[in-house]
Amino acid sequence: MKKHFSRRYLGIPYMIFLIFFVIAPVLVILYYALTNGKGQFTLSNLFGFFSSGYAIGTLVYSIFIAFIVTLVCLILAYPAAYILAKEKVRKSSVLIILFITPMWINFTLRITALKEVLTALEGNISYYPFLNTVIGMTYDFLPFMILPLYTTISKLDDTLSEAAEDLGAGSAKVFLKVTLPLSVPGIISGIMMVFLPAMTNYVILDMLYNSTFIMGSLIGSYFAAYDWHSGSMISIILLVIIFAVNIITDRFADDDAKGRRAVL
Amino acid sequence: MYRFITFLKIFPVAALACIFAGCAGFTDDTVVLRVCNWEEYIDEGGWDDDEAIELSDGRVIKGEDAMYREFEQWYYDTYNVKVKVQYSCFGTNEDIYNQLNIGDTFDLICPSDYLIMKLMHEKRLEPYSDDFFDERDENNYYIKGVSPYIKNVFEKNETDGEPWSRYAAGYMWGTSGIVFNTDNVKTEDARHWDILNDRDYYRRVTIKDNVRDSYFAGLAMDKSKLLLSDDFRNADNYGERLAKEMNDTGAQVVDDVCGILKDIKDNAYSFETDSAKADMAAGKVDISYQWSGDAVYTMEVAAENDVELNYIVPDECGNLWFDGWVMLKDGIADDTAKKHAAQAFVNYLSRPDNAIRNMYYIGYTSAIAGGNDNAVFDYAKQCYEEEGDDTIDYDISYFFADGDTDAKYVICADPKSRYGELGARYPDLDTISRCAVMENFDDEAYERINQMWIDVRCFNIKDIF
Repeated sequence: MKKHFSRRYLGIPYMIFLIFFVIAPVLVILYYALTNGKGQFTLSNLFGFFSSGYAIGTLVYSIFIAFIVTLVCLILAYPAAYILAKEKVRKSSVLIILFITPMWINFTLRITALKEVLTALEGNISYYPFLNTVIGMTYDFLPFMILPLYTTISKLDDTLSEAAEDLGAGSAKVFLKVTLPLSVPGIISGIMMVFLPAMTNYVILDMLYNSTFIMGSLIGSYFAAYDWHSGSMISIILLVIIFAVNIITDRFADDDAKGRRAVL
Repeated sequence: MYRFITFLKIFPVAALACIFAGCAGFTDDTVVLRVCNWEEYIDEGGWDDDEAIELSDGRVIKGEDAMYREFEQWYYDTYNVKVKVQYSCFGTNEDIYNQLNIGDTFDLICPSDYLIMKLMHEKRLEPYSDDFFDERDENNYYIKGVSPYIKNVFEKNETDGEPWSRYAAGYMWGTSGIVFNTDNVKTEDARHWDILNDRDYYRRVTIKDNVRDSYFAGLAMDKSKLLLSDDFRNADNYGERLAKEMNDTGAQVVDDVCGILKDIKDNAYSFETDSAKADMAAGKVDISYQWSGDAVYTMEVAAENDVELNYIVPDECGNLWFDGWVMLKDGIADDTAKKHAAQAFVNYLSRPDNAIRNMYYIGYTSAIAGGNDNAVFDYAKQCYEEEGDDTIDYDISYFFADGDTDAKYVICADPKSRYGELGARYPDLDTISRCAVMENFDDEAYERINQMWIDVRCFNIKDIF
């Protein structure tokens, strides 16, 4: 009995899940993206997207928001992750819980609470829709930036920085030449975890009363207007962008791996 | 590809069917009725004792169990046939329409006016049978009890040459208008739609986050002068002309409305789907574009916070809307037992005591006036009648009185209630006569209006260059 059992079989449930709920929906989206209302093949949805100033504008606006949010998250998260990783064990686990507990609460609840805080601070939150969006998204996505950074930094070999110090590097130089380059994989995965959801999470925008559409809301508006074809095409375009970002960051990660070998 | 999609459609349905068949162990004579309704749009029961409503004739109304569950019992007691209601909910008309297109089948759904028209146009609805309109049958609560006013609207309006009443039975109805905070907003300002765009109320206004309602408001602002002119007002065919103007989707008009909505976007606190009720009650905003049922709810909640709100249908015009029960051809599939159960379900909801339960629970106004049974008017009286010298006679005979009788349905009410809950729940004749139904747009108009909505809401790359 034991001989016949292959560990591969354990993957079957996941394969079934993958086929039904990941691959099949993407194929359905692709089908709608490349057809018109009569079911005929067409590329007009694609051309429609790139010829519309509003669609491109929305893409640019989404990327801009995502960029700012990622940047703010990185600036806030890196020092925090660094301190956490360098702290003694007991204290750091307490701090980590502080950072992670918010994730146990549903994000719509947290944003509702944030809305009250912002109202108290700003008086009328509709005066600052963009600022509020950045605050809201940063609040929501910060743990996703801290965790990969924390994991990477805490795994760094202390002997490397000690060696650098022995060789005469000041603490700033040690950080810039050793710690920072070695933590690039963490930075990359942090960016991946924050940038992409920030481009599409329109629920946060809606809840904080930013009435300008981002990609997610644009797709939603097409579906609400019964135009599944244009909506699906925008989803596919987003998917392609996400793939492109993935490939680019992968290359960075590779360089980093080479870099690490060079350091070693 | 097509076969694959069909398979995708069938698989979950088949799986669900197996599960249901497996655990419930239905025998063949049980009728399964698949009902899909708006969320929070039927009494779910579980009332406390102090919530029970006692009518003047001594009847006590109290929601014990969810109404669709009680229906199953009632149907068995009345017709000696077992029925199982599979009850589910949808969030927007667009959602339910998309659901139907993916291949979900329901027997009975409750869409709004324009979706009823769209489904009628697409020939997807099953007409009500002649038995349903037989007033001699004591269980035909709908036809016996539906308000003459609603009945008239449903009979007079047609889609592709057929009256709505053949395919749809009214459930809830109302108007749309402006809810405003009486401390901070002048009533005179709230009489016109352009309050949404008034810089005096900068960032203290909310507007509906859907293209149809927003377009309606924009249209009323664009045509304000015409709508308010005496010539237009006093024309013999005022109602017809109003309906025509408020369903105008000409390219130039859509363009003008686009500009107006862009201004409103800059002036508004939020485009909202649900949050304005809480924001109004908390005093964060002073003005909100609302449906009458939500206005009732908002005023109630605000009153608990000592915030006084009023509801006005602006002078230009208001949107008359209704939600109605329609049977789907796909679902009923010529099954007479099922059709009978579906019609009985509508009748059961239309029984006056059940209409009151739903009104109490949901906050919207039922299309049921009660016919010979005075319970619904009695309930309205109980809620809004005041004693004292400075009351006004609030006449809502148009809704309750059948054309043949001279009976008057008048409530002695607090003068404030004209713009309070009473006015929102039962608009007076003057208000209702300046309301128009917003019809379904054809494909071309829909595309144009949706493009306008994207123009309003999206950031345009061309603005930079």
